[in-house]
Amino acid sequence: MPIDLVFFLRVLIFPGFVFLLAFSLFCDWFERKIRARMQNRMGPSYTGPAGLLQPIADYIKLLTKEDIIPAQATRLLFTVAPVLAVSLFVFTFYYIPIDGLNIIPNSSFEGDLILVLVLITIAEFTMFLSGWSSTNPYSGIGATRVLTQFLGYDIPLIVFAIGPAFLSGSLSISTIARKQTVPFVALTPWTFILFIITLQAELGKDPFDIPHAETEIVAGYVTEFSGRRLAFIEIAKDIQVVLGATLVTVLFLGGPYGPVLFGSSAVWYTFWFIVKVLAVIFLLEYVGSVAARLRIDQVVRANWRWMMPISLLVLALTIVCQPLLSPLVG
Amino acid sequence: MTTVKEAVRLLEDKLGNKVMECKTPEPRRTYVLIKSGYHRDAISLLLETLSETGISTITGTDLGNEIELNYHIRCRGSVITIKNRVPKEKPQIMTITDLIPGATLYEREVFDLLGVIFEGHPHLERLVLSDDWPEGSYPLRKDWDPTVLEEDAPNLRGQPSVMNGGDVEGATSPVVNVVMGPQHPALHEPERFSFKIDGEVVVDVEPRLGYVHRGIEKAAERLMFFQDVYLIERICGICNAAHALCFSQAVESIGNIEIPSRARYLRTIIHELNRIHSHLLLLGVTGFELGYETLFQYVWRDREPVLDVMEMITGNRILTDFITIGGVRRDLKPETHEKIKKPMKKLKKRMKFYKNIFEEDPTLRLRTKGVGILKPSSAKKMCVVGPVARGSGISLDIRRDDAYAAYDEIPFNVITYKDCDSWARLMVRVEEVVESIDIINYALDHLPSGPYRVKVPRRQPEGESVSRVEAPRGELLHYVKSDGSAYPYRVKVRSPTLANIISFREIIRGSYIADIPAALISLDPCFSCTDRMSFVEVNNGRKWHWSLEDIKRLKKRS
Repeated sequence: MPIDLVFFLRVLIFPGFVFLLAFSLFCDWFERKIRARMQNRMGPSYTGPAGLLQPIADYIKLLTKEDIIPAQATRLLFTVAPVLAVSLFVFTFYYIPIDGLNIIPNSSFEGDLILVLVLITIAEFTMFLSGWSSTNPYSGIGATRVLTQFLGYDIPLIVFAIGPAFLSGSLSISTIARKQTVPFVALTPWTFILFIITLQAELGKDPFDIPHAETEIVAGYVTEFSGRRLAFIEIAKDIQVVLGATLVTVLFLGGPYGPVLFGSSAVWYTFWFIVKVLAVIFLLEYVGSVAARLRIDQVVRANWRWMMPISLLVLALTIVCQPLLSPLVG
Repeated sequence: MTTVKEAVRLLEDKLGNKVMECKTPEPRRTYVLIKSGYHRDAISLLLETLSETGISTITGTDLGNEIELNYHIRCRGSVITIKNRVPKEKPQIMTITDLIPGATLYEREVFDLLGVIFEGHPHLERLVLSDDWPEGSYPLRKDWDPTVLEEDAPNLRGQPSVMNGGDVEGATSPVVNVVMGPQHPALHEPERFSFKIDGEVVVDVEPRLGYVHRGIEKAAERLMFFQDVYLIERICGICNAAHALCFSQAVESIGNIEIPSRARYLRTIIHELNRIHSHLLLLGVTGFELGYETLFQYVWRDREPVLDVMEMITGNRILTDFITIGGVRRDLKPETHEKIKKPMKKLKKRMKFYKNIFEEDPTLRLRTKGVGILKPSSAKKMCVVGPVARGSGISLDIRRDDAYAAYDEIPFNVITYKDCDSWARLMVRVEEVVESIDIINYALDHLPSGPYRVKVPRRQPEGESVSRVEAPRGELLHYVKSDGSAYPYRVKVRSPTLANIISFREIIRGSYIADIPAALISLDPCFSCTDRMSFVEVNNGRKWHWSLEDIKRLKKRS
């Protein structure tokens, strides 16, 4: 693609940076509202219509706050880690079709699914580093928990993600999404359910919000962060949630592709993308609302004893079923 | 089985002339004055002859030239108070912690506030007073002068341990010191726990109490009996009715005041409403501590109607100021009966739902089942009370064993669980709420007519009394001594949390960091109840003049 005005608009405004940021903030509001309504609370209500502007207000507040670096902290890591987390998550979005095309059209390639999974893993590692660099006992324990939990669920997550790749016969995310004339959730619902559960752990949501269990270790790895750095970490977490939901969308729900009723297909594809992502976030919040936080040893044990073998079995099952299901794959 | 009466007779026979005085002014209360130094013989004799014996607390009273130590020994609904006197110039006495490990904190408390040295105590340290409290100044002594607190420089004893963690045994040790509190999301009141952590496992814990001192015991000596009720009620925001009830009962017993039976029933109703709201509060907080926020929000929503009922009866939602010496302060109109019963019926239905959640929810079970084991044998040794004891299968309930208010006429069950873990302790509370609802309904149906209050003189005769009630967290004990004036000579409060917190170390050692909130919350610690002793003059206060030199010195040290 030539580097012209359209290129810049796509990268910076839509479906690039500004859109992603605005959408993440909207999802932040959506999450909070859903969670609140499930818990019989109001949720954000006062800033903007129905509290829609609350996340923005929160970030503006954080950005104006004093930014403190602990004297003992590793200054470089402490500064770099939050920024790195945000940029890695945003960068990952460049391989995901949003309005039917990638942000940079035709930039997808065979194997970008693996790249995306690797980027997510690295981004997870920045969270560990941010906790580790702040030399606070709470942060230290939180950081170790990030890593321990990550050891438990990361491999099953990747194995589950390979399932759709087998079905569509491609390792490119946009191809996997495009091939789902019948969404893979209908073909292999069991993979979908298990993927949602492992994703819950990846995103650190209940029952897996162990790395920042507030009643045990205060804020976990973010305990020492304040002001702008905290804002960066928080926005990174928001984008991470959207990214997780997006991954479910492209792997199991047919990505942005859906019926185009009239007019421009790009508008409809964006619409379907947003609807599907919100539906997945709703599901994630629902699971989070009906569970208590587990203990780190329980998670790790359950993952190695149950999730690992199950994920391999599921993958084998998918491979076996693939010839039967292939007529349904577009 | 020897009865308490026989045990006391045996005590008199065996110790002979060492028993200087023995009286039983009312059923289930015995006061035995023992010759100085022979208290250990008396207590070990009681331990041998009576099963289910524990210590409730130790009260120290300044009698002028002597300090009187009252060992309140509880056995099967009775309290035998072993009295012993030590000279004030040389206040030394042998410890009883080797006989009853549960007395550790009580001895430290007396040491802290009255300066009695317990020989042989494993670590006789400060319990409630702050680290910079001047040495040799004992606030509960009658001749204590508050002006000692006006010295300028803070007298820091050792390193101020406000540092947040760090290595314990040098850089090579894997054990890390993690401090929780005084401010921490898991604690709703300021208290400090210093945990030694190896990876995710708790190696040891050292609690430090005393962050919420208000000096209520000392302040109570300066107010008249009827004024004290309001002060005592403010010891704790949650179980306030229990405190007011316990204190009123003690004063009524000293003054031989017979209260009308309608008042006894009304007291029971408000006491049980108090229990329901306290238990629901705890069950909600449990949800929060375990990251189950939906449970937290739901339980607290269902707690609201209980507060509304309290407001309807007493005029206040939390601090009821309902119970007073001689009865209660307001009558209950007959038309309000239905207004109480309706929300209670609804709540009973909800409790079935919550019981189901606590029994069935897999994540909740994973987090509470088998966590924080307190075996019955250690529970007995530590002399824990209330739901903590009942969760370990020990059937201990003051309402049944030492019936007060209208409990001798109301049928109810004492809930016990044999699982000995956090889950059992929570389940006890879930079921107790249902029992409390039944008690309230029964009391409303059988409410006697008549007056609800008798006039009580301001002056009370000379005497002393031990009063106990089953507060939501367990046995609450008040000891009141009167010298014949309108002011109490000594008021002693032993809250259930002080009895239970001693078991926390046993419960938490060897478990995971993540179990800390689950285990702590199952004890339902209430620190404002626990920290009420000592005295800080409100008007002139303690002055802190931190000079630049002080700060520099501290900086260097850290």
